Amino acid sequence: MDLQFSKEDEEFRSEFRAWLDTNLPQDMRTEDWWRPKSDDEQFQIRRDWEKKKAEAGYCGIQWPTEFGGRGGSPTMKAIYDEEMAKANAPRTVNPLGLAFLGPTVMAIGTDEQKAAIIKPLLHTDVIWCQGFSEPGAGSDLAALQMKAVPQGTDYLINGQKIWTTNAMHGDKIFTLARTSEGAKRHDGISMLLIDMHQPGVEARPLKQITGESEFGEVFFTDALCPQDEVLGGEGNGWMTAMLLLSFERGSSAIGQYTEFRRQWDAVAQIAKQVERDGKKASQDPVLRQQLANSLVDLECLKYHSWHVLTATSQGKDLGYEASMTKMMWSETFRKVSDTYEAILGSAFQVPEYQGLTLEELTTMALWSRSCTIWGGSAQVQRSIVAERVLGLPR
Amino acid sequence: MRFQLNDEQRALQDAVRSYLRDRFGPAQVREVYDNPDTDGVPAALWKAIGEQGWLAVLVPEEHDGIGLGLLDAAVLARAFGAATVPGPWLSTILLGEAIRLAGSDEQKAKLLPGIAAGEVKGAVALLPNGSARGAVATATDGKLSGNLGLVEYAAVADTLVVAAQDGLYLVDPTHATITSSPALDRTVRLSTVVLDGAPGEKLTNSSDAVLAEILDRAAVLVANDLVGIARKALTDTVEYDKTRVQFGKPVGSFQAIKHDLADIHLGITMAEHAALYAAHAQDIDAPDKELAASIAKVKAGDMANESTSAMIQYHGGIGYTWEHDSHFYLKRAKRLEYAFGDASQHRERIASLLLDGEVDGTRAPVSAESSGMASGVA
Ligand SMILES: Cc1cc2nc3c(=O)[nH]c(=O)nc-3n(C[C@H](O)[C@H](O)[C@H](O)COP(=O)(O)OP(=O)(O)OC[C@H]3O[C@@H](n4cnc5c(N)ncnc54)[C@H](O)[C@@H]3O)c2cc1C
Repeated sequence: MDLQFSKEDEEFRSEFRAWLDTNLPQDMRTEDWWRPKSDDEQFQIRRDWEKKKAEAGYCGIQWPTEFGGRGGSPTMKAIYDEEMAKANAPRTVNPLGLAFLGPTVMAIGTDEQKAAIIKPLLHTDVIWCQGFSEPGAGSDLAALQMKAVPQGTDYLINGQKIWTTNAMHGDKIFTLARTSEGAKRHDGISMLLIDMHQPGVEARPLKQITGESEFGEVFFTDALCPQDEVLGGEGNGWMTAMLLLSFERGSSAIGQYTEFRRQWDAVAQIAKQVERDGKKASQDPVLRQQLANSLVDLECLKYHSWHVLTATSQGKDLGYEASMTKMMWSETFRKVSDTYEAILGSAFQVPEYQGLTLEELTTMALWSRSCTIWGGSAQVQRSIVAERVLGLPR
Repeated sequence: MRFQLNDEQRALQDAVRSYLRDRFGPAQVREVYDNPDTDGVPAALWKAIGEQGWLAVLVPEEHDGIGLGLLDAAVLARAFGAATVPGPWLSTILLGEAIRLAGSDEQKAKLLPGIAAGEVKGAVALLPNGSARGAVATATDGKLSGNLGLVEYAAVADTLVVAAQDGLYLVDPTHATITSSPALDRTVRLSTVVLDGAPGEKLTNSSDAVLAEILDRAAVLVANDLVGIARKALTDTVEYDKTRVQFGKPVGSFQAIKHDLADIHLGITMAEHAALYAAHAQDIDAPDKELAASIAKVKAGDMANESTSAMIQYHGGIGYTWEHDSHFYLKRAKRLEYAFGDASQHRERIASLLLDGEVDGTRAPVSAESSGMASGVA
């Protein structure tokens, strides 16, 4: 048992922290600074900042240097995630490209694709969307209907995607379409890399329960995609998609822990300020139990991230255990949010209460509800854990 | 970054597991269960525990022990939990810990070698039953009085550790009135112990802080026992539900069962991490060691409760029979869930550690923390 990071890792931490100190102004770390800005403005600022960070060499921490990454270790990636969360740094504008597309291209892309995709992704020159879900295909992804038929050197694409994160800001979309009729549902699917800036592609925002429009719908009406813009080969889309989704597995969740723990601390602070039955909420025995209980799970999430880091540092593939990490962080996040709501009680409805600004925490409490849906819903993850980890029959 | 047992600890784990698999399985546990009038200390098992050095782990080498850490003892506790091992291992370990942490050099030299050698059985009365704090006896001029409540293995103990208002005392049980009482979990033997002016030997370095430390170490070992129980109960349930067929299918293929078992697996995994870290945190004297002990006790208690309940539920009728092993796990989990502070008492302690700090118990709120971080000014 040794919970220290190596000297080299700690050096990387100080170096990155110093970079953040000079390059992430204090006001940018506060919600007040962001709030008055429009969605578009916010996105552009994040995009520019992330580019600057990439240019300073703080991108693709674990990606090979030949692709423009830093060639670092899993522990360095964990440190990077932790420092980003501690600094309240802007969220990446390319979450789906970083989590999924990049690793897949590095694994099975052609040399041209590697050259064309990776660096622009890391430097936010191209914002990538993930176009998997359709109105009729959510958890049951293989029910997808979008069609792509050959036309000259292109595919002609018709269909609709939905819940597409960053739909309004995307430049390109990696998406699944049926390029042929297969004998089975999983056959005849291809992963296409489609330019979103063309007349046949229309993105429309969808308003989320937070009031923001991070996701949207994308309509394809005779859209075009060159036939060499297929990732993993025509007809291999299902396997490519499974490979792509598997890349989430290495994630240690230390970034999530750091972020949620900061929120818990803020919630505890609120509990010490708001009154309930003539005393501070933090002195209410039931709320104390609830606060403690969410903290228990949070700290267990931290221990779990050490466990994941230990395994990945030793070169182990966590396989389906990754579903446990997703379940653990998303449900722990829900617990912290529930605690926050319980402490405020009816004041949860308003943006300001007894001098406290609540907007940021309220948004996070609402956002926590999406995390048990996207990226494989909590129910789907439970089935995976039961079948693939515990070995229960299908 | 290595959050896992080292090679020696893994070897210890293999050794204890293989001993229990070969020599002390469910049939042997059942012997103890079905003969409640025996002393609950299977002779061969107890001899082996002594010979293997499993009572010597925490005794310093200078007192003929092995001088390992709480993490090593936790490895044993977890294996003992999984096998529902009877006997006063834990209470003897705690006797040793009390002497090691609160005893004078002379007391240590006199008493620890016997514990390490497996020649001594201990019993402890460190808390009033059901309470997370408070003395169990009153000491006046070295004489102890009070009803200690239910004490595990008092009837076989050579030495009793008693928490009085001014510190810890060793008491010879022959000076106590010991009335045995049936226990639901028959992997233990319980007695009510009453002292009436019994002579006690004070552990000279005892203090509130030392007692708190011993109680945390006890809670951590119990948490490890509990995760051992929880994991074993889940594993057995999964195995059974893979093969039990109803409606033409294994019942383990039904989503209601699958999802519950997946949740329990997740929770036990968290509890295992917590129990592991809590032991390590005591060993390295981590700043959050008290918090870690309480976190482990909460999560392990909750999960052992859930897992052993699920074991009975997802076995159906057979799980409700005396002949099936389910109740060994359920009853042991119930006993330990309430030992050395139950989940709600430890949650309250977590709350007091984090919410009731002197100036400002919690960390700074979102923006303050991040600004402090970056500028280096609080
Ligand atoms: C904030 C957010 C961002 C998203 N971003 C993207 C994106 O960028 N790209 C993209 O392609 N998609 C995205 N999604 C879509 C997401 O992947 C889907 O919402 C998800 O797969 C669930 O599909 P669904 O919404 O159709 O729900 P459904 O699949 O219809 O599920 C409805 C309910 O049924 C449950 N359920 C479904 N199947 C089973 C089963 N077999 N057993 C038990 N319960 C089941 C689900 O858990 C859920 O509770 C996003 C979603 C959200 C909320």
